[in-house]
Amino acid sequence: MSKGVHVKFSNVSKRFRTPKGDWYQALKELNFEIQPGEFVALVGPTGCGKSTALTLLAGLEQSSIGEVSVDGTAVKDIDIRTGFVFQHDATFPWMSVANNVGAGPKFRGLDPKEYRPLVQKWIAKVGLVGFEKHYPHQLSGGMKKRVALAQALINEPQLLLMDEPFSALDVQTRSIMTDELMTLWETTGSTVLFVTHDLEEAIALADRVIVLTAGPAQVKADFKIELARPRKAREIRFTEEFLKIYQNIWEVLRDEVDIAYQRQLIAPSEK
Amino acid sequence: MAEDFLSDAEIKRKQTKHRINVHSLQLAVAVALLGSWQILADKKILDPFFYGRPSGVMHQLGVWIQHGTSIGSIWVNAWVTLYEATYGFLAGVILGIIFGVFLARNPTAAEIFAPYIKVSNSIPRVVLGSIFVLWLGLGSISKVALAFVLVFFPVFFNAFQGTREADNKLIANARLLGASKRQVTTKIVFPSALSWITASMHVSFGFALIGAIVGEFLGAQRGLGLLIATAQGNFNPNGVYAAMLLIAIMALTAEWLITKLEDRLLKWRPTQVSGTEH
Ligand SMILES: Nc1ncnc2c1ncn2[C@@H]1O[C@H](COP(=O)(O)OP(=O)(O)OP(=O)(O)O)[C@@H](O)[C@H]1O
Ligand SMILES: [Mg+2]
Repeated sequence: MSKGVHVKFSNVSKRFRTPKGDWYQALKELNFEIQPGEFVALVGPTGCGKSTALTLLAGLEQSSIGEVSVDGTAVKDIDIRTGFVFQHDATFPWMSVANNVGAGPKFRGLDPKEYRPLVQKWIAKVGLVGFEKHYPHQLSGGMKKRVALAQALINEPQLLLMDEPFSALDVQTRSIMTDELMTLWETTGSTVLFVTHDLEEAIALADRVIVLTAGPAQVKADFKIELARPRKAREIRFTEEFLKIYQNIWEVLRDEVDIAYQRQLIAPSEK
Repeated sequence: MAEDFLSDAEIKRKQTKHRINVHSLQLAVAVALLGSWQILADKKILDPFFYGRPSGVMHQLGVWIQHGTSIGSIWVNAWVTLYEATYGFLAGVILGIIFGVFLARNPTAAEIFAPYIKVSNSIPRVVLGSIFVLWLGLGSISKVALAFVLVFFPVFFNAFQGTREADNKLIANARLLGASKRQVTTKIVFPSALSWITASMHVSFGFALIGAIVGEFLGAQRGLGLLIATAQGNFNPNGVYAAMLLIAIMALTAEWLITKLEDRLLKWRPTQVSGTEH
């Protein structure tokens, strides 16, 4: 049983070079903490900086100012205790489904005899039995996403970062994967940071929902979700309590979504 | 609604029909070209003394096969050229891949070596043939060396570029999954550079043959290049063509083998020209 890690963003700012040569600021003095074993959902308007926050935490990029730390140590490089489900397809095109799912254990030098049953178990969990020998280009978008999920989850990461992991899935698979994720999280106790555009999903899954402002992202609000666990993700959406929470968060989020949308309308005529 | 997919047999029949059509047209082109050459030469419109003729080429091949050439058995000479080209090709491909991938993965090393690579690439490589003959003598080694330098650079540049183009997201994913730098190189970067590398291999075997033959022109005791040089000296155009024909057969066979290898190595790619249902 792995134990979740503690995460802290202290005054984190991040800027990027734009194609035109000037700077674009994606994160501005971002501050929040995640307790070990906590499940946090990150929501915010499109383009606000959610994926950027995840890449910093995964050690794929460095912050410009401020510090991202895991268990009190600044993140300087990739750490294999971290699992990452990318927003866009990152499966390996030259590996079959089975080899993609087994890539983590193989890279980590585990004995194939040991991890092969595990691979088979995960392939079954994500509903890809019969597709073991297929290559990614022979799969649908949703199937690729499921390969990516199995690929990340098989390593039972202590810190799980998920960037819209269920966005390409149909409703049924989505609810199966949601339940799987819940079970996994409850048994491993890992820390999860989950990016989604689906506020219902965020509330149904998370202990806390953090709302980010339109870019550059700052923490706009931080909601504790006091719904009892274990939750039945499918049924909980219709309870009074849930709807109230939804109303509260949406009120805050809507303003930011509006700002981002207005900007998109103005942006082209500005130049 | 009735399911009326084409049956496998029908698909196969369609493909066979298509192939037969293409092949018979190809044959027709060859017959037309060779036939008009033969007729023009027979009517002395093309002087066979300078231009040769198809029947003369076949005759020359027959003589070589039955009685050998002025420099020994035709098979020995063809074999010498083939293995010079093959050794040069293999050495060039292997070292080209190793250096290309290594330098692309180590940017500092790449920066240090960049000017030297540019300079050595700018040397007209055929000139090196003379130097190799001086250094390494009239034997096969100087030809292998020339074939090698001709193959090395295209493979090197493609391996380098292919490695640089490897998707950063895939590399990041592999590292998060626990891959060491070495595993990233062998399991991620190399496979993604493979299509670049095999692309360069297609042209490279031709270069290797050029290297072997030019090396033989410049000074040799055996080989098809020497045979061509001898035929040229004797005003025997049919001899030149006959040797060229043998070289073409080698090049086409190598091309076929490389394509087979490519299909095997890159079987994970979406098929460009799918064999099924158009
Ligand atoms: N490498 C980069 N170079 C330049 N700009 C970048 C880079 N990465 C991100 N950005 C910019 O930073 C901003 C935030 O991007 P990010 O991907 O974090 O958004 P997001 O919140 O994940 O959006 P979405 O919900 O649409 O996925 C965007 O405006 C984007 O253009
Ligand atoms: Mg994103």
